[in-house]
Amino acid sequence: MSNEKKKERRMFVWISVLAFVVSFVAGVASKLLCKPSWARKYSVALTDEVGTLHRDLAYGEGAANRFDLYLPADGSSARYGLVVYLHAGGFTQGDKSEDEKMLTWLCSKGYVAAGINYTLRTEENGCSVYSQSMEIKEAVPKVIEEAKKLGYRIDRMAVAGGSAGGTLAMLYAYRDAKDAPVPVKMMFEAVGPSSFYREDWGSYGLDLDTPESRKAAAGLFGVMLGKEIEETILDTPEYEQLIKPISAFLWVDENSAPSVIAYGVHDRVCPFQTSRHLVDALKKNKVDHQYFELPHSGHGLQNDDKIYEQYMETVEEYLERYLPVGGAYAH
Amino acid sequence: MKLTFRNPFRRNQWIILLALIFAGAVLGRLAVRGVLNILVGGTMFGGNFL
Repeated sequence: MSNEKKKERRMFVWISVLAFVVSFVAGVASKLLCKPSWARKYSVALTDEVGTLHRDLAYGEGAANRFDLYLPADGSSARYGLVVYLHAGGFTQGDKSEDEKMLTWLCSKGYVAAGINYTLRTEENGCSVYSQSMEIKEAVPKVIEEAKKLGYRIDRMAVAGGSAGGTLAMLYAYRDAKDAPVPVKMMFEAVGPSSFYREDWGSYGLDLDTPESRKAAAGLFGVMLGKEIEETILDTPEYEQLIKPISAFLWVDENSAPSVIAYGVHDRVCPFQTSRHLVDALKKNKVDHQYFELPHSGHGLQNDDKIYEQYMETVEEYLERYLPVGGAYAH
Repeated sequence: MKLTFRNPFRRNQWIILLALIFAGAVLGRLAVRGVLNILVGGTMFGGNFL
Protein backbone atom coordinates (compact mmCIF):
# COMPACT_ATOMS: atom_id res chain seq x y z
CA MET A 1 0.00 0.00 0.00
CA SER A 2 1.41 3.36 -0.96
CA ASN A 3 2.10 5.98 1.68
CA GLU A 4 -0.58 8.23 0.25
CA LYS A 5 -3.22 5.50 0.53
CA LYS A 6 -2.19 4.80 4.11
CA LYS A 7 -2.47 8.48 4.92
CA GLU A 8 -5.92 8.66 3.32
CA ARG A 9 -7.11 5.65 5.26
CA ARG A 10 -5.81 7.07 8.53
CA MET A 11 -7.56 10.34 7.77
CA PHE A 12 -10.82 8.49 7.09
CA VAL A 13 -10.59 6.65 10.43
CA TRP A 14 -10.11 9.93 12.28
CA ILE A 15 -12.98 11.60 10.43
CA SER A 16 -15.19 8.59 11.24
CA VAL A 17 -14.34 8.78 14.95
CA LEU A 18 -15.00 12.51 14.97
CA ALA A 19 -18.32 12.09 13.12
CA PHE A 20 -19.41 9.43 15.64
CA VAL A 21 -18.47 11.54 18.66
CA VAL A 22 -20.14 14.66 17.29
CA SER A 23 -23.34 12.82 16.41
CA PHE A 24 -23.34 11.08 19.82
CA VAL A 25 -23.10 14.46 21.57
CA ALA A 26 -25.81 15.83 19.27
CA GLY A 27 -28.00 12.84 20.20
CA VAL A 28 -27.47 13.48 23.91
CA ALA A 29 -28.19 17.20 23.49
CA SER A 30 -31.31 16.61 21.41
CA LYS A 31 -32.68 14.21 24.03
CA LEU A 32 -31.94 16.58 26.88
CA LEU A 33 -32.90 19.88 25.30
CA CYS A 34 -35.61 19.27 22.70
CA LYS A 35 -39.10 19.14 24.14
CA PRO A 36 -41.77 17.31 22.19
CA SER A 37 -43.93 19.74 20.22
CA TRP A 38 -47.06 19.07 22.34
CA ALA A 39 -45.22 19.97 25.56
CA ARG A 40 -44.31 23.47 24.39
CA LYS A 41 -47.84 24.69 24.93
CA TYR A 42 -47.48 24.06 28.69
CA SER A 43 -44.30 26.08 28.85
CA VAL A 44 -45.50 29.67 28.84
CA ALA A 45 -43.30 32.72 29.40
CA LEU A 46 -44.62 35.29 31.81
CA THR A 47 -45.34 38.54 29.98
CA ASP A 48 -47.65 41.49 30.71
CA GLU A 49 -50.21 39.94 28.35
CA VAL A 50 -50.31 36.77 30.48
CA GLY A 51 -50.37 38.28 33.94
CA THR A 52 -48.34 39.49 36.87
CA LEU A 53 -46.33 37.62 39.45
CA HIS A 54 -46.14 38.54 43.12
CA ARG A 55 -43.21 36.70 44.65
CA ASP A 56 -42.49 35.49 48.16
CA LEU A 57 -45.64 36.55 49.94
CA ALA A 58 -45.64 35.32 53.53
CA TYR A 59 -48.19 32.95 55.03
CA GLY A 60 -46.42 32.08 58.27
CA GLU A 61 -43.45 32.75 60.47
CA GLY A 62 -41.09 30.14 58.99
CA ALA A 63 -38.46 31.12 56.44
CA ALA A 64 -40.04 28.74 53.92
CA ASN A 65 -43.59 29.94 54.53
CA ARG A 66 -43.80 31.88 51.28
CA PHE A 67 -45.88 31.66 48.16
CA ASP A 68 -45.82 33.11 44.66
CA LEU A 69 -49.08 34.43 43.27
CA TYR A 70 -49.74 34.62 39.55
CA LEU A 71 -52.62 36.93 38.63
CA PRO A 72 -54.10 36.77 35.13
CA ALA A 73 -53.91 39.91 32.98
CA ASP A 74 -57.68 40.10 32.66
CA GLY A 75 -58.74 41.33 36.07
CA SER A 76 -62.30 42.14 35.08
CA SER A 77 -64.07 38.96 36.31
CA ALA A 78 -66.14 39.06 39.47
CA ARG A 79 -64.86 35.63 40.55
CA TYR A 80 -61.77 33.54 39.85
CA GLY A 81 -60.71 29.95 40.22
CA LEU A 82 -57.47 29.33 42.11
CA VAL A 83 -55.04 26.57 41.16
CA VAL A 84 -52.42 25.72 43.76
CA TYR A 85 -49.44 23.80 42.37
CA LEU A 86 -47.03 22.21 44.87
CA HIS A 87 -43.43 21.54 43.97
CA ALA A 88 -41.57 18.22 43.86
CA GLY A 89 -38.33 17.29 45.62
CA GLY A 90 -38.81 14.27 47.85
CA PHE A 91 -39.98 16.46 50.77
CA THR A 92 -36.34 17.51 51.29
CA GLN A 93 -35.59 19.72 48.27
CA GLY A 94 -37.23 21.89 45.64
CA ASP A 95 -38.76 25.31 45.35
CA LYS A 96 -41.92 26.91 43.96
CA SER A 97 -39.84 28.72 41.34
CA GLU A 98 -39.22 25.38 39.58
CA ASP A 99 -42.88 25.31 38.57
CA GLU A 100 -42.91 28.80 37.08
CA LYS A 101 -43.74 27.51 33.57
CA MET A 102 -46.64 25.38 34.79
CA LEU A 103 -47.97 28.17 37.01
CA THR A 104 -47.66 30.68 34.17
CA TRP A 105 -49.53 28.30 31.87
CA LEU A 106 -52.35 28.07 34.42
CA CYS A 107 -52.34 31.87 34.73
CA SER A 108 -52.47 32.19 30.93
CA LYS A 109 -55.68 30.14 31.01
CA GLY A 110 -57.28 32.73 33.29
CA TYR A 111 -56.70 31.18 36.72
CA VAL A 112 -55.14 32.75 39.73
CA ALA A 113 -52.23 30.36 40.28
CA ALA A 114 -50.13 29.87 43.39
CA GLY A 115 -46.90 28.03 44.06
CA ILE A 116 -46.47 27.43 47.78
CA ASN A 117 -43.21 26.55 49.53
CA TYR A 118 -43.19 24.38 52.61
CA THR A 119 -40.47 23.71 55.17
CA LEU A 120 -38.21 21.03 53.73
CA ARG A 121 -37.13 18.22 55.95
CA THR A 122 -33.60 18.20 57.29
CA GLU A 123 -32.04 15.94 59.94
CA GLU A 124 -32.19 18.86 62.36
CA ASN A 125 -35.66 20.37 61.90
CA GLY A 126 -37.69 17.15 62.19
CA CYS A 127 -40.18 18.26 59.53
CA SER A 128 -42.36 15.55 58.05
CA VAL A 129 -44.91 14.98 55.31
CA TYR A 130 -47.52 15.63 57.99
CA SER A 131 -46.06 18.98 59.10
CA GLN A 132 -45.65 20.02 55.46
CA SER A 133 -49.28 19.13 54.71
CA MET A 134 -50.36 21.24 57.68
CA GLU A 135 -48.36 24.17 56.34
CA ILE A 136 -50.20 23.91 53.03
CA LYS A 137 -53.49 23.81 54.91
CA GLU A 138 -52.46 26.97 56.74
CA ALA A 139 -51.31 28.65 53.53
CA VAL A 140 -54.41 28.29 51.37
CA PRO A 141 -56.65 30.80 53.26
CA LYS A 142 -53.75 33.30 53.18
CA VAL A 143 -53.37 32.83 49.42
CA ILE A 144 -57.08 33.50 48.90
CA GLU A 145 -56.95 36.52 51.21
CA GLU A 146 -53.95 37.97 49.39
CA ALA A 147 -55.59 37.46 45.98
CA LYS A 148 -58.67 39.30 47.27
CA LYS A 149 -56.50 42.20 48.49
CA LEU A 150 -55.08 42.44 44.99
CA GLY A 151 -58.57 42.55 43.46
CA TYR A 152 -59.09 38.89 42.55
CA ARG A 153 -61.93 37.26 44.46
CA ILE A 154 -61.57 33.46 44.61
CA ASP A 155 -64.68 31.28 44.86
CA ARG A 156 -63.36 27.81 43.93
CA MET A 157 -60.05 26.05 43.65
CA ALA A 158 -58.04 23.10 42.41
CA VAL A 159 -54.93 21.67 43.96
CA ALA A 160 -52.13 19.93 42.12
CA GLY A 161 -48.52 18.88 42.28
CA GLY A 162 -45.80 16.50 41.21
CA SER A 163 -44.13 13.77 43.30
CA ALA A 164 -43.86 15.12 46.89
CA GLY A 165 -46.09 17.98 45.76
CA GLY A 166 -48.54 15.39 44.46
CA THR A 167 -48.74 13.76 47.89
CA LEU A 168 -49.37 17.12 49.55
CA ALA A 169 -51.95 18.01 46.88
CA MET A 170 -53.83 14.75 47.53
CA LEU A 171 -53.74 15.28 51.30
CA TYR A 172 -55.24 18.74 50.85
CA ALA A 173 -57.86 17.55 48.36
CA TYR A 174 -58.95 14.40 50.21
CA ARG A 175 -58.18 15.14 53.88
CA ASP A 176 -58.41 18.91 54.27
CA ALA A 177 -60.90 20.02 51.60
CA LYS A 178 -63.70 20.11 54.17
CA ASP A 179 -61.87 22.94 55.97
CA ALA A 180 -60.93 24.84 52.80
CA PRO A 181 -62.25 28.41 52.55
CA VAL A 182 -63.64 27.68 49.05
CA PRO A 183 -64.75 24.39 47.44
CA VAL A 184 -61.95 22.18 46.13
CA LYS A 185 -63.32 21.27 42.71
CA MET A 186 -60.56 19.03 41.39
CA MET A 187 -57.10 17.63 41.99
CA PHE A 188 -54.38 16.60 39.56
CA GLU A 189 -51.05 15.09 40.37
CA ALA A 190 -48.35 12.77 39.10
CA VAL A 191 -46.13 10.24 40.88
CA GLY A 192 -46.98 11.24 44.45
CA PRO A 193 -47.05 8.43 47.03
CA SER A 194 -50.46 8.11 48.63
CA SER A 195 -49.90 5.01 50.78
CA PHE A 196 -47.19 3.66 53.05
CA TYR A 197 -47.42 -0.13 53.28
CA ARG A 198 -44.01 -1.71 53.38
CA GLU A 199 -44.93 -4.51 50.94
CA ASP A 200 -45.36 -1.84 48.22
CA TRP A 201 -41.98 -0.25 48.86
CA GLY A 202 -39.84 -3.02 47.40
CA SER A 203 -37.57 -0.60 45.54
CA TYR A 204 -36.35 0.55 48.98
CA GLY A 205 -35.98 -3.02 50.25
CA LEU A 206 -38.76 -2.53 52.79
CA ASP A 207 -40.83 -5.50 51.65
CA LEU A 208 -38.53 -8.24 52.95
CA ASP A 209 -39.44 -10.45 55.86
CA THR A 210 -36.35 -9.56 57.86
CA PRO A 211 -35.80 -7.49 61.01
CA GLU A 212 -33.61 -5.05 59.04
CA SER A 213 -36.34 -4.48 56.47
CA ARG A 214 -38.96 -3.87 59.19
CA LYS A 215 -36.62 -1.52 61.00
CA ALA A 216 -35.94 0.44 57.80
CA ALA A 217 -39.68 0.65 57.03
CA ALA A 218 -40.50 1.84 60.55
CA GLY A 219 -37.71 4.40 60.27
CA LEU A 220 -38.67 5.78 56.85
CA PHE A 221 -42.42 5.90 57.44
CA GLY A 222 -41.85 7.31 60.92
CA VAL A 223 -39.82 10.16 59.45
CA MET A 224 -42.58 10.83 56.91
CA LEU A 225 -45.26 10.74 59.58
CA GLY A 226 -43.23 12.78 62.06
CA LYS A 227 -43.78 10.22 64.82
CA GLU A 228 -41.87 7.19 65.94
CA ILE A 229 -43.31 3.93 64.61
CA GLU A 230 -42.71 0.64 66.43
CA GLU A 231 -41.56 -2.14 64.10
CA THR A 232 -44.06 -4.52 65.67
CA ILE A 233 -47.07 -2.44 64.64
CA LEU A 234 -46.15 -2.33 60.92
CA ASP A 235 -48.25 -5.23 59.66
CA THR A 236 -51.18 -4.80 62.04
CA PRO A 237 -54.57 -3.04 61.60
CA GLU A 238 -53.45 -0.35 64.11
CA TYR A 239 -50.77 0.72 61.67
CA GLU A 240 -53.39 1.92 59.19
CA GLN A 241 -54.84 4.30 61.78
CA LEU A 242 -51.38 5.48 62.79
CA ILE A 243 -50.28 6.26 59.22
CA LYS A 244 -53.66 7.67 58.11
CA PRO A 245 -52.68 11.36 58.58
CA ILE A 246 -50.30 11.10 55.60
CA SER A 247 -52.03 8.33 53.59
CA ALA A 248 -54.08 10.30 51.10
CA PHE A 249 -55.94 7.28 49.71
CA LEU A 250 -57.43 6.52 53.15
CA TRP A 251 -59.24 9.88 53.06
CA VAL A 252 -60.95 9.30 49.72
CA ASP A 253 -64.74 9.18 50.04
CA GLU A 254 -67.73 9.72 47.77
CA ASN A 255 -67.37 13.51 48.16
CA SER A 256 -63.72 13.62 47.16
CA ALA A 257 -62.64 16.00 44.42
CA PRO A 258 -62.49 14.68 40.85
CA SER A 259 -58.93 13.63 40.17
CA VAL A 260 -56.52 13.17 37.30
CA ILE A 261 -53.48 11.10 38.24
CA ALA A 262 -50.47 9.59 36.47
CA TYR A 263 -47.91 6.98 37.56
CA GLY A 264 -44.93 5.26 35.94
CA VAL A 265 -44.94 1.46 36.13
CA HIS A 266 -41.17 1.30 36.70
CA ASP A 267 -41.01 4.12 39.25
CA ARG A 268 -38.33 3.45 41.86
CA VAL A 269 -38.81 6.67 43.80
CA CYS A 270 -42.56 6.49 44.35
CA PRO A 271 -43.10 2.73 44.03
CA PHE A 272 -45.77 2.00 41.44
CA GLN A 273 -47.61 -0.42 43.74
CA THR A 274 -48.60 2.48 45.99
CA SER A 275 -50.86 3.85 43.23
CA ARG A 276 -53.04 0.72 43.30
CA HIS A 277 -54.57 1.64 46.66
CA LEU A 278 -55.42 5.11 45.40
CA VAL A 279 -57.00 3.88 42.19
CA ASP A 280 -59.04 1.27 44.09
CA ALA A 281 -60.25 3.91 46.57
CA LEU A 282 -61.28 6.29 43.77
CA LYS A 283 -63.14 3.47 42.00
CA LYS A 284 -64.78 2.15 45.16
CA ASN A 285 -66.06 5.61 46.09
CA LYS A 286 -67.15 6.40 42.52
CA VAL A 287 -65.04 9.53 42.38
CA ASP A 288 -64.81 10.95 38.87
CA HIS A 289 -61.19 10.26 38.00
CA GLN A 290 -58.80 9.53 35.17
CA TYR A 291 -55.83 7.33 35.84
CA PHE A 292 -52.86 7.21 33.47
CA GLU A 293 -50.41 4.34 33.72
CA LEU A 294 -47.15 4.88 31.85
CA PRO A 295 -45.86 1.37 31.06
CA HIS A 296 -42.27 2.22 30.10
CA SER A 297 -41.59 5.09 32.48
CA GLY A 298 -40.32 5.73 35.97
CA HIS A 299 -40.59 8.69 38.28
CA GLY A 300 -39.96 11.20 35.48
CA LEU A 301 -42.79 9.82 33.30
CA GLN A 302 -40.07 10.17 30.71
CA ASN A 303 -40.58 7.34 28.21
CA ASP A 304 -44.26 7.57 27.29
CA ASP A 305 -44.84 10.97 25.74
CA LYS A 306 -48.12 9.97 24.10
CA ILE A 307 -49.69 9.03 27.42
CA TYR A 308 -48.18 12.03 29.19
CA GLU A 309 -49.76 14.21 26.52
CA GLN A 310 -53.12 12.54 27.15
CA TYR A 311 -52.67 13.17 30.88
CA MET A 312 -52.11 16.89 30.28
CA GLU A 313 -55.02 17.10 27.85
CA THR A 314 -57.24 15.45 30.45
CA VAL A 315 -56.04 17.91 33.10
CA GLU A 316 -57.14 20.72 30.78
CA GLU A 317 -60.47 19.02 30.14
CA TYR A 318 -61.12 18.56 33.88
CA LEU A 319 -60.09 22.16 34.61
CA GLU A 320 -62.56 23.37 31.98
CA ARG A 321 -65.28 21.12 33.36
CA TYR A 322 -64.81 21.64 37.11
CA LEU A 323 -63.09 25.00 37.25
CA PRO A 324 -64.34 26.93 34.19
CA VAL A 325 -62.85 30.36 33.80
CA GLY A 326 -65.45 33.01 34.54
CA GLY A 327 -68.41 30.63 34.24
CA ALA A 328 -70.58 28.51 36.47
CA TYR A 329 -68.87 25.40 37.71
CA ALA A 330 -70.00 21.79 37.89
CA HIS A 331 -71.12 20.57 41.30
CA MET B 1 -12.42 31.11 -11.59
CA LYS B 2 -14.13 27.75 -11.72
CA LEU B 3 -14.78 25.98 -8.40
CA THR B 4 -14.51 22.23 -8.51
CA PHE B 5 -15.62 19.72 -5.86
CA ARG B 6 -13.34 16.81 -5.21
CA ASN B 7 -15.13 13.96 -3.48
CA PRO B 8 -12.77 13.01 -0.64
CA PHE B 9 -14.29 9.56 -0.04
CA ARG B 10 -15.26 6.51 -1.98
CA ARG B 11 -18.90 5.41 -2.05
CA ASN B 12 -18.46 2.74 0.64
CA GLN B 13 -16.69 5.23 2.88
CA TRP B 14 -19.65 7.59 2.63
CA ILE B 15 -21.94 4.73 3.62
CA ILE B 16 -19.76 3.91 6.63
CA LEU B 17 -19.68 7.57 7.65
CA LEU B 18 -23.45 7.98 7.42
CA ALA B 19 -23.97 4.75 9.37
CA LEU B 20 -21.64 6.02 12.11
CA ILE B 21 -23.45 9.36 12.29
CA PHE B 22 -26.79 7.58 12.59
CA ALA B 23 -25.44 5.13 15.20
CA GLY B 24 -23.88 7.97 17.20
CA ALA B 25 -27.11 9.96 17.32
CA VAL B 26 -29.16 6.89 18.28
CA LEU B 27 -26.68 5.79 20.95
CA GLY B 28 -26.52 9.33 22.33
CA ARG B 29 -30.26 9.39 22.84
CA LEU B 30 -30.28 5.86 24.24
CA ALA B 31 -27.49 6.78 26.66
CA VAL B 32 -29.61 9.59 28.12
CA ARG B 33 -32.59 7.28 28.37
CA GLY B 34 -30.42 4.66 30.07
CA VAL B 35 -29.06 7.09 32.65
CA LEU B 36 -32.54 8.45 33.40
CA ASN B 37 -33.85 4.91 33.75
CA ILE B 38 -31.13 4.11 36.27
CA LEU B 39 -32.01 7.20 38.26
CA VAL B 40 -35.82 7.09 38.22
CA GLY B 41 -36.79 3.76 36.64
CA GLY B 42 -37.99 2.91 33.16
CA THR B 43 -37.38 0.58 30.24
CA MET B 44 -34.74 0.98 27.52
CA PHE B 45 -37.19 0.27 24.70
CA GLY B 46 -40.85 0.86 24.09
CA GLY B 47 -42.96 3.97 24.45
CA ASN B 48 -41.24 6.93 22.82
CA PHE B 49 -39.30 6.28 19.65
CA LEU B 50 -35.83 6.52 21.23
